[in-house]
Amino acid sequence: MAKELLTLDDATTCTSWNFSGTRLAAASADGTLSIFDSRNPPSSSSLRSTFKFRVLEGNIVKIVWVPPEYGDAVACISADGIVSLWEEVAEDTQSLQWKMCKSFGNSSNKVLDVQFGISLTCLKMVAAYSDGNIRVFELLDPLELRNWQLQAEFQNVIESVSAFGKASCLSASISWNPQKGGSQESSFLIGFNSNTSELNSSKVWEFDQAHQRWLPVAELALPEDKGHQVYAVAWAPNIGRPYEIIAVATDKGLAIWHVGLNPDHDGRLPVKRVALLSGHEGMVWQMEWDMSGMTLATTGEDGMVRLWQSNLNGVWHQQAAFEPIS
Amino acid sequence: MPSDTVGNGALVPFSGDPPAVYPLHHGLAPPIRRLSISWSRGNSLRLSLFAAAATKVVEVKLTAEDPEISDAHWRRIAYGSVAPFALLQSRRSSLSALLKTPSPYHSDWWENVLQYSKEIGSLLGGSKLPPSPIIEDSNTIVKSGEEPTSMKAAWELIEIFYVDKQSQAWLPERLVDWLADYDSLFTSTYETIHGKLVDFQKELVNIQISHFLLEPHSIWHQVIEDDPRYWDLLSSALSVGWLEIVVKMLRLHGSYQLDQLSNREYHCAFQAQLNVKSKTIAVTVSKFHLENGLVEAVAVLISKMPRLCPESVGKFGEFYKSKPDFIKPWEKWRLQITKLDCSPIWIQCDNQQTREGLRNLLQIMLGNTDSLCMATCYWIELYISHFLYIRPFTMGIESMYNLAQKCIQLKPQSNTHRLARLMIGILEENTEVVLAECSREFGPWLVAHAIELLTAGSEQAEILLHEERYNLGGISIVELHRLVYAQILSSHTLTWQIAPIYLTSCMKQGMGLLENLLSRQSVQHNNVLLKNIEICRLYELDHISSNIMKIAGVYRWKHGHKGAGVFWLQQAEDASCLDRIAQQLFDSVGKSISDESFKQWEGMIELLGSESKHAGGLEFLHKYRDFKKSLQKVSGRKSTDTARQAVGSLILLMKNPSTPQRFWLPLLYDSLKLLNWKDCPLLSVSETNLLLNKLQDLSLAKLRPHYSEPNLPSDALSSIRLALATNLGRAILDE
Repeated sequence: MAKELLTLDDATTCTSWNFSGTRLAAASADGTLSIFDSRNPPSSSSLRSTFKFRVLEGNIVKIVWVPPEYGDAVACISADGIVSLWEEVAEDTQSLQWKMCKSFGNSSNKVLDVQFGISLTCLKMVAAYSDGNIRVFELLDPLELRNWQLQAEFQNVIESVSAFGKASCLSASISWNPQKGGSQESSFLIGFNSNTSELNSSKVWEFDQAHQRWLPVAELALPEDKGHQVYAVAWAPNIGRPYEIIAVATDKGLAIWHVGLNPDHDGRLPVKRVALLSGHEGMVWQMEWDMSGMTLATTGEDGMVRLWQSNLNGVWHQQAAFEPIS
Repeated sequence: MPSDTVGNGALVPFSGDPPAVYPLHHGLAPPIRRLSISWSRGNSLRLSLFAAAATKVVEVKLTAEDPEISDAHWRRIAYGSVAPFALLQSRRSSLSALLKTPSPYHSDWWENVLQYSKEIGSLLGGSKLPPSPIIEDSNTIVKSGEEPTSMKAAWELIEIFYVDKQSQAWLPERLVDWLADYDSLFTSTYETIHGKLVDFQKELVNIQISHFLLEPHSIWHQVIEDDPRYWDLLSSALSVGWLEIVVKMLRLHGSYQLDQLSNREYHCAFQAQLNVKSKTIAVTVSKFHLENGLVEAVAVLISKMPRLCPESVGKFGEFYKSKPDFIKPWEKWRLQITKLDCSPIWIQCDNQQTREGLRNLLQIMLGNTDSLCMATCYWIELYISHFLYIRPFTMGIESMYNLAQKCIQLKPQSNTHRLARLMIGILEENTEVVLAECSREFGPWLVAHAIELLTAGSEQAEILLHEERYNLGGISIVELHRLVYAQILSSHTLTWQIAPIYLTSCMKQGMGLLENLLSRQSVQHNNVLLKNIEICRLYELDHISSNIMKIAGVYRWKHGHKGAGVFWLQQAEDASCLDRIAQQLFDSVGKSISDESFKQWEGMIELLGSESKHAGGLEFLHKYRDFKKSLQKVSGRKSTDTARQAVGSLILLMKNPSTPQRFWLPLLYDSLKLLNWKDCPLLSVSETNLLLNKLQDLSLAKLRPHYSEPNLPSDALSSIRLALATNLGRAILDE
C-alpha cells in the first residue's frame, strides 16, 4: 500500500511538497535546505537532489512553499524564529540557482508560522510572532520576491481594547482560505498556543477594502472554550458547498466547523461547530485537507496518521488510521 | 431500514468503531519522532517519517486494489468505461431536455441503460464463459477458461435485478445462469459445488489412468458409480441446474461402456468358473442392461426438464418463454418423474449405489427439501435450487428476500462472501445497502458506474440518489460517488486525463474539483501544460487556464527562458507581470546599451509586441529599437541617407514625451557620430535647439533628489554639448 519515494538522512527535521507535488523541500537541524525533483516527468516516484545549501543558522522547523504564481520559492522557519525566503532563479546568463530573497524575525520576537495567500492579484504573507502579533506583508513586484511591504500588524483578538500582559506564544497555526482569484477578498484563519487565553482561539480575518484594514469576521470557539490552546488549523478547499469547512485542533480535541458564506448584520460570518472528535492522544501536529475538502488527514503526538470524513448524514468520524510499524 | 444504519451511512462505508487501523511498514528503527503529511493529487497521501537514523518519504494510495484485477487491466477498464458513460450522460441530458423534466425516468430508458450495462460488462472480462458444462472430451466435466472476476459477477447481478426488464419474467433462470458462471468465485470463502467438481475431475483422470495401467479384473473396483462422490456430485450439479454436467456425468456410468460390460462379463465368467451356472451370467447381463436403462431414463428426464426462459445454445431442457406455456409441461414432467420414482422396476436393480443415486436425483427433481439441502454447499446454491425445483413459478423479486433468509438459516456460514452481501442488499430492495456494499467491497469505480443501473429500475431510487443533500454540501449521492471516483482517477498520471469526463457530469461540485485538479498540475513540461490548457478550453475554464499560463510564464521567466516567459504571460494577459518585465527592460536598456545587450533585449521587445497596451513604456522601446537598428546601419557604412534616417529616429525619440528622461543622455551619447557627421550637418537648427533644450532640462533635473547618473564616461556631457554646438554652427551656415 505504501510506496517508498525517498530516504533522507538522520538530521532531517521537516519536509514539504510543492503545490503540484513534483518537488520536495527537506531541511535539517543544521539549517541546510535540500530540494529534490522528480527525475522523470510522468512519474513522481524517483526523486533526485538538485540543491543543497545551508540557508539558516540553526534548526529549521518548517518549510512553506510560495504559491507557484510567484515562482519556485520556499520560506524556511528556524527554531530561533527566523524566516529565510529562498527562490530558484536564473539571473542573466547564470545558471539556475537558489538565492535568498528575504530574511526576517529574530530570537527575541520569533516568527512561529508563515503562510502565503493570494489576494486579488497580490501575494500576501501572514506571519505569526511569539509576542502574539500578526503581521501581513504584501509583495510589491510580482516578479521580485525581495521587496515586501508591511501592510498591517495586529493581534489575534476580537476586541482591540482588551488589555493583557506580555504574551508568550509557543506556536501558531495559519491557514488561508484556499479559494483563489475571483473578486472575493481573501481571508485567513489563525490560532495560537499561548499563555494568553484571549489570543488563542482561532479567528477568521478578512481584509476590509473600504477601510483598508483586517477585520475578524468569525471566531471558531464556543464561549467556554475560547482560552483553549490551538495546535493546528486547516481551511478546507470548497468545491461548491454552500458553507466553508474548517478544522481546528485544540487540547480539547479536533473540531469541525461550518462557516457561512455571507455575513450577518454585524459583519460576522455565522459559524457552527458540527463535530468535536477525539482520536489523537496529546498534541495534533498537522492537519491537511484533500483537494475535494472531503477528507481530513491529521498527525499527532500519538504517532498515528488519521483520516476523517463525514458520512451521508453529516456525521464526522474517523475513517481510518495508519500506524507506522518498522 | 433507516439510512443511518446503512453501512453507518458512510461515504466510503466503514465497519463501525473502532476505525480500521492499517499498518504502515517503513523499515526504520523506532521510535518515529515526527510525522508529516501532504496530499498529492487525488487520494494519494504522502508521508514523511522522521526516525533517529533516517527519514523516509512514502506515498500511500488510499484505495484498496481489487486483488482479482491487475493495474493494467484496471486502466483498460477505466478508459473503456469512459465512452459508454459519456454516451449515457448525453442521452440522459438530451432526454431531459426533451421531456423538460430533470429526471429522465421514461418507460424506454432502461434500454439505454441496458446497452450501457452490456458495454461496461464486456470490459470486465472477455466473452462470457459458456456455462461450465460444455464438454468435448469425456474427461472434462468442468471447463476451465478465463477466470471470472467478482467485479463482473457483481455487475451482472445488478444488471439482472435492476436493468434488464425484458428478462424479469425469467429472473430465477437468469440467477441459475449467473451461479453457473460465478460459483467458482465463492470457492475462496465456502465449499462450493464448482470446487467439488473440479476436485473430482482430477480424481477422474486418475481413474482413467488406472484403467489403462491396472489389470482388467481390478477395474471392477474402480468403476465410477462405486465412488460415493460420483453420486454426491451428480445430485449437487442437478440441484443447481447444471443439467449438461449431470447428463454428461451420468453417461460416464459404467453401464454405458462396452468394455465395462465385457469387464463385468469377465467378472461373471470368473465367478462362473467358481461354480455359478451360466444362467446367472445371462441374468447379470440383463440386469446390467436394466441398470443402463434406468440411468438413461433419468438422463432423458433431466435433459427434458421444462425451463422458463428463452432457448440458448448448449443449454439442456425444453424452453418456454411465458409462464402459462410453461406450467403444463412442467406438471407433466413432474408426473413422469413421480411415475418413475414409484415404479417397481427399482427392485430389479441390484447395484445399490446406482439405485440409490438415481432415486436421489429423482428426489431432487421432485423438490425434496432435504435432498436439496444435502446436495448444495452454501446458501446461494440452496437458494437457486429452490427456484428450480420448489418454486418454479416464482416471478419478480417479491418474496425472494424471505426465501433467501430461510436459505441462510439452513446453511449458516461464519464468513460472508462480498457477492453474497451484495445479493442480500439487492434482495432487501434497499438501494442504500446496495451502494454501501458496492462501495465497501468493490470500490469507487463500480459505484460510480453501477449507480446508473440502480436508478434505471425505479423512480424511487432515482429520487433517492439524485436528491441534493445539505449534509453532503448540497450534492446528491450520485454526484458524491462520481467525485470520489474522479479523485481516484486523478491520483494516477495515466488516468487523470479522464477524470474531467466524470467531473463535468457533476452539476454542483464537479467543476470546482476539476479546477483544483487542473491547478495542481505541474507546468514545468510543455506537453502537460498544453494538455492542461486544452482541457480548460474544452470546459470553458478561462480563469483557470489563464492562471496556469501565468504560472507557466513566471516559471519560465524566472528559470532563464525569458522569451517563453513573456509568451505565456501574454497568453495569460497578466498586465502586472508584463508591466514589470517592460520596466526591467527599461532598466537594463537604461544601464547599458552595448551591442551585445541590444541583441538580448531586442528579441524581448519584439515579443512583447506593440499592441500590448499594458506595458506602458513599450512604445518607447520600439522606437528605441528602431533607432538602434538605424544606428547600427550607419556604423557599417558611410551613407549620409542612412545617417539621416537615424537622426530622424533620434529626433522622434527625443520629441516623444514617453521617452524617459534618464534615456536622454545615453541616447545623445550613442548619437555622437551623427552629431559630428563629417559630410554635412545632419540636424537642422530647430532640431539642434530641441536637443540643446533637453540638455538644459537634464542639468536642472540633476539638482533634484533621486536623480540617477547614467553609467557614461565623465566627459560624455561635454562631448555632447560640443558636438551639438558644432552642429548648430554648421546648420546655421547651411541654412
